[in-house]
Amino acid sequence: MDIRTALLDKYGARVYKNRKDHILTVPSDGSMPVVGANSRSLPGIMTERGCCYAGCKGVVVGPIKDVVTITHGPIGCGYYTWGTRRNKARPSIEGQRQENMPMLNQYMFSTDMQEPNIVFGGEKKLRKACEEAIEIFHPKAIFICATCPVGLIGDDIHAVAASIEEDYNVTCVAFSCEGYKGVSQSAGHHIANNQIMRHIIGSGSRPLPTPFTVNILGEYNIGGDGFYEEALLARCGIHVRSAFTGNASIEEIASAHQANLNLVMCHRSINYIADMLKTRYGTDWLKVNFIGIEATKKSLRDIANYFGDQELLDQVEAVIAEEEARYAEDFAYYRSKLSGKTAGLYVGGSRSHHYQLLLKDFGVSTVLAGYEFAHRDDYEGREVIPSIKLDADGKNIETITVQPDPAQFRTYLTPEGAQRLKETHPEIELNDYKGMIVDMEAGALVDDDMNQYETEELMRLVKPDIFFTGIKDKYVVQKGGTLCRQLHSYDYSGPYSCFQGAANFARDLVASLYTPVWGMIRVPWKSRPAILAHTAVGGED
Amino acid sequence: MTQNLVNLNVNPCKMCMPMGSATAFYGIARCMTILHGSQGCATYIRRHMATHYNEPVDIASTSLTEEGTVFGGEKNLLQGLKNMVELYRPEVIGVATTCLAETIGEDVERYIETFHEQHPELAVKIIPVAAAGYGGSQYEGYWHALRSVVSHVDMDASPNQYLNIIPGLLSPADVRALKDLLDQLQVPYLLLPDLSDNLDGVHTEHYERLPQAGITLAQISKMAGSRATLELSLLNQPAYSPGTYLRDTYGVPLYRLNLPGSLRDTDALISVLKELGAQVPERLRQARGRFLDAMADSHKYNAAGRAVIFGEPDFVLTTARLCCENGLLPVLCATGAHCKDLAPQLEADLRDCARRFHVAAYKVLDDCDFDTIEREAQSLGANLMIGSSDGRRVAQKLKLPLIRCAFPCHDQVGGQRVRTILYDGCLSLLDRATNALLNQRETGFRQQMYDLYYKSPAEARFPAGRLSEQTAQTDPAAAAAKAKASELQRKTAEHPCFNGCGGQFARMHLPVAPACNIQCNYCVRKYDCANESRPGVTTEVLTPQQASEKYRYVKSRLPELKVVGIAGPGDSLAEWDKTRETLELIRQFDTEVTFCLSTNGLLLPQYADQLARLGVSHVTVTLNTIDPAVGAKIYQHVEFMGKRYTGETAAALLLANQLAGIRRVCVLGLVCKVNIVMLKGINDQQLGQIVQAVKDLGCHQTNIMQMIPVAGAVFEHMPLTSNKEIMQVRRDCSHILKQMNHCQQCRADAIGTLGQDRSREFCHYHAKAADAGPAKSPAATATANRLPAVLPAAVTAASLPHPEPEAAADWSPALRFAVATRSGILVDQHFGQVSDFYIYDYQDQTVCFRERRQVGPYCTADSCDGHGGGQREGAQVHRMQEILKAVADCSGVICLRIGEAPRLQLEERQIQITTTFDQIEKAVAAAAQQLHAARKGA
Repeated sequence: MDIRTALLDKYGARVYKNRKDHILTVPSDGSMPVVGANSRSLPGIMTERGCCYAGCKGVVVGPIKDVVTITHGPIGCGYYTWGTRRNKARPSIEGQRQENMPMLNQYMFSTDMQEPNIVFGGEKKLRKACEEAIEIFHPKAIFICATCPVGLIGDDIHAVAASIEEDYNVTCVAFSCEGYKGVSQSAGHHIANNQIMRHIIGSGSRPLPTPFTVNILGEYNIGGDGFYEEALLARCGIHVRSAFTGNASIEEIASAHQANLNLVMCHRSINYIADMLKTRYGTDWLKVNFIGIEATKKSLRDIANYFGDQELLDQVEAVIAEEEARYAEDFAYYRSKLSGKTAGLYVGGSRSHHYQLLLKDFGVSTVLAGYEFAHRDDYEGREVIPSIKLDADGKNIETITVQPDPAQFRTYLTPEGAQRLKETHPEIELNDYKGMIVDMEAGALVDDDMNQYETEELMRLVKPDIFFTGIKDKYVVQKGGTLCRQLHSYDYSGPYSCFQGAANFARDLVASLYTPVWGMIRVPWKSRPAILAHTAVGGED
Repeated sequence: MTQNLVNLNVNPCKMCMPMGSATAFYGIARCMTILHGSQGCATYIRRHMATHYNEPVDIASTSLTEEGTVFGGEKNLLQGLKNMVELYRPEVIGVATTCLAETIGEDVERYIETFHEQHPELAVKIIPVAAAGYGGSQYEGYWHALRSVVSHVDMDASPNQYLNIIPGLLSPADVRALKDLLDQLQVPYLLLPDLSDNLDGVHTEHYERLPQAGITLAQISKMAGSRATLELSLLNQPAYSPGTYLRDTYGVPLYRLNLPGSLRDTDALISVLKELGAQVPERLRQARGRFLDAMADSHKYNAAGRAVIFGEPDFVLTTARLCCENGLLPVLCATGAHCKDLAPQLEADLRDCARRFHVAAYKVLDDCDFDTIEREAQSLGANLMIGSSDGRRVAQKLKLPLIRCAFPCHDQVGGQRVRTILYDGCLSLLDRATNALLNQRETGFRQQMYDLYYKSPAEARFPAGRLSEQTAQTDPAAAAAKAKASELQRKTAEHPCFNGCGGQFARMHLPVAPACNIQCNYCVRKYDCANESRPGVTTEVLTPQQASEKYRYVKSRLPELKVVGIAGPGDSLAEWDKTRETLELIRQFDTEVTFCLSTNGLLLPQYADQLARLGVSHVTVTLNTIDPAVGAKIYQHVEFMGKRYTGETAAALLLANQLAGIRRVCVLGLVCKVNIVMLKGINDQQLGQIVQAVKDLGCHQTNIMQMIPVAGAVFEHMPLTSNKEIMQVRRDCSHILKQMNHCQQCRADAIGTLGQDRSREFCHYHAKAADAGPAKSPAATATANRLPAVLPAAVTAASLPHPEPEAAADWSPALRFAVATRSGILVDQHFGQVSDFYIYDYQDQTVCFRERRQVGPYCTADSCDGHGGGQREGAQVHRMQEILKAVADCSGVICLRIGEAPRLQLEERQIQITTTFDQIEKAVAAAAQQLHAARKGA
């Protein structure tokens, strides 16, 4: 019985029918399998997915540092998104220090709805909350995020936002991201993308310091990843206008449309904006990945080749050579300690893909990977998008279409330039993403929306040396004797991006694999070990 | 939450109900929880619990989507239960609802019945608990789940030898200690919930998916026959109390005790257990003795502690008691939950402790967020925080040590192993507190000595905290400088106009200086318009003597009064002797109050030093331009040293004095604010420069204000500045200097907090002290003669002194009206919702405000019977009687609308009812004429 069959075997008929489409083995013939992604989770089987509100407030909107984001709802939802993603930020706009910038992403604002607000409606309370926020924090903008009850009792948060904007001249945007919408966080990403596109992007203007100005879309600066990326790009001569949305200020986002290229890190959460920026302003986007040594090198070269400037290309090569030389010794040592190990990955939007490349740099092969809330294009590549059938849950999420903005539409590359780029650099996938599976080895397992039960079983069946996931399933994996590290918040470590980040990551991994505890789990008064951790072998050499 | 922030919770000090319910279910063996709602709830709660306990936390979700919310969640719940049972085989399942399920009104009990009907073969006990996030915090969720457990499990009421022990939320280590104690005392017990192992697991060969430890279903069923229940929570509501349920349903005697987190609370627990037959072993006596010994050892360090204790009500209560009995004063006890009982429970302890250490201020707050905690901790001088890791942001900001000993602990490990209860647990917490205080002293000691003896006092920097202040006192000069700085800081924090938010602090403007030495084009100084509120307006002018007496009177009725200000009504320095005498008189009997003064700045260089000597700490200067050419458009004339100047000369003279004066007061260490009136087309383009200029002079903040157009002024028809524009300007200027955003542009005789002007309550005070000398202002004299009686600040209906016939003999008003108004300007309130009536008299075609009479509102949202109160009985009828009594001497009542029942009552008393929406004065005049006409007709 192969692993997939063994895993599905424990399920009853109904669950089996549902789950079989989510679990597959990467074919050895190079064909692309179909993943049953972005469909409802089964009740009662512990999914690791969050809700629509989590995707909107927790992921996309929350990190913006100079905006008051008010959670309109009972206290829990707001409380649980308070500082939990370790989105780092510093008081600056486009790298320039701002003395008086309020760092509002450290705060959690909630209307703390009580029973009477549910019965009589919460609009008045929300309006007053906005007024109080203006009075005390003088923010440049207020965002309002809805929770489950808001949609049910029919509070018109958009009307409140409009009236606040009208009365106080403060940008105010409402997000109807009630938790029950869609099937996962992903719905919330889409809703956030739509509103940011509609109300924020294009409303500002700032001078471009260099034509090599980019946005990094889908970089949430967890553990400080974005700081490294920004610094590395700056050394190459590439200026970052804005990051969506780690360490972002509202002004940067408002003028993001002026950048000449968009870099996409997390494809899932931000591809809508990348797409809409292309349509409305003509800006090309490039899927990049700064997680992994080779991936970072490719990303830097792709950017330089896109701009096609020889000085920039030379500078990129110089920076790469310098960085590789600096960490060569570290990389070699860590590779010697990690090579030959196997890993499992279960993270959110694009990380399960990104980290496979980083692991590969150190000789670790990925035998199991899955996404929490991805769509088929994240697995199979964007070419499947036209063939994705919208189900009832998908249809409930608004899709907005934008038109080219005649005043501001311009592409950096001329049509001839684009043609030339295609010919000289066929490896550059402009405005495209090929998905995770193309980078996986044949025979590896893909599990979409991996639930707690499957996680536990797969540890037994696949036996990876290391499993990367989040806090919720971390302890189940660890109790089962497999080393587990968090990739949502990096177990309070990081940054893991670019060259130095790769060294940080490898250091943490070696520290975990070779900690003495694995050797001590053998209980001295018992003849056989209490736990047979695969990692114990590593601890003994 | 503070007065300012009533609708916005900033950094919450609580979580939601399902979180508490899920925790409680973890104390039951082979039990799992499913949350009926969208999957985010389960995900978030698992994330928070797993981070604290470092254990797998398996909470399922029914994963409701849009379809489920429209068509009901039955399908999802049934399928979810089935999937759970098939995969995990639990014996008990707790079904907690969420906001979503409660809002769409899910009938979970019925779904569970359906499940059992569909699957008779699946033997699983399913316990529902209603846990809407808006219904309470995790505290209520925890208790409600336990209550649901005892009310849903099939009970065996036959008597047994057990004691039920139901503690509030404790760490697994504390639960293990509690079990050890019970074993030592040889008491057979049933512990619900038993969190000792499931959330603080042991590394075993095989990982078990279901929580194996905890109380079993069979054990729970015996709770109905136990000898007694000990519920270790004093603050839990009876409706959510499992012990109350067991007592009321099965007659199990109930003891409600505090969590044993202090010496006295542990003693209380042991003595109840002893009463119930426990054997107290020698070991326990020793543990108590050791605790006492340690208390004596560390008392000298603890006495310097000023703690903030925050978290769930039971934790706060017992921990505050632990601190009090160790002389470590909890200056702030705060809980995020709604818990009105916390303050009364703590009052005696806190009062006693505060008195011992000669500390005046401490607070107990419920429904509190961290924003409030931060502000209060600062103003109450805290030097230690005790609670969960959620306090870390405040601790970091205020540089206070934080002892993490409650759920959640997210930034450190070991939250599940923290000990806080029983003699040894209390001692371990006390040691941590003492050590935090000692550490603060040790780490700062060298630096302090260095700063004190090797640096000049001016350079000396002292770390925050009371401990350090004691060392500082060894150098009188440094101590004085330090004391002065901290005094000024405190005064600024308590000054409603300077602290950035107004807040609960009150101020009082004394109108003693009517003359003005400049004429601004936007100003006409007119007195006694009670309905107008703007600078320069006052009802009366007081002599210094009257002013100081009025201050004394108001202070006695308004304890939150922190600031005395002189804001004219003219310029406070133009008649310097009056201002000086007023402040001197007040300083004689009140050394604490903050003196504040506002001026146009013309004479500021002359009097700045005297102001400092008088103890004025805050000065506001109105400065509208730094360009004499612009000034010429704003000022008609300036009178200086007996000469009148006009045009640019006047403006230049004024400006030079303003700038010199501002510089001088800043050098003297006074806090200086500059008011700028934004005048469209005149100075609106140079506001930034003005702000920059005064910043360079050392100003603390600026206040850019709208111009209030006044009839008769030169600028009467100048275009208005909208809120939007003023907000924008303030925002732009905030990059330069701190901006005041909450200015109310108060009257020259304002009294109260910025949000609530109470000057009318006190407006005729000095008339009472008529023998102190006649008032000089003709307007004031006229008012004094017209109104005979003085009313105290708060007049309740019961104590309402109706005018005695003697007092009113020489002045019997023809007509008196009770007006229902919220704004004080318009008749805009429903009769039933009035909390205080405005009483107006009408005589000789003059409408005159007399007083406010407080009554309780007759109608409230929750007591409405839809018949204007006609269907009511008891308390409401009594209230109605009170209201009628309050308006008994009136000829008429004027209100927006009125219900049927009170209308009949009033008509029966021949009180005319006028329903209208109009300005009060007009409405009163109209009603009076109507009444006159009616009487003539009769």
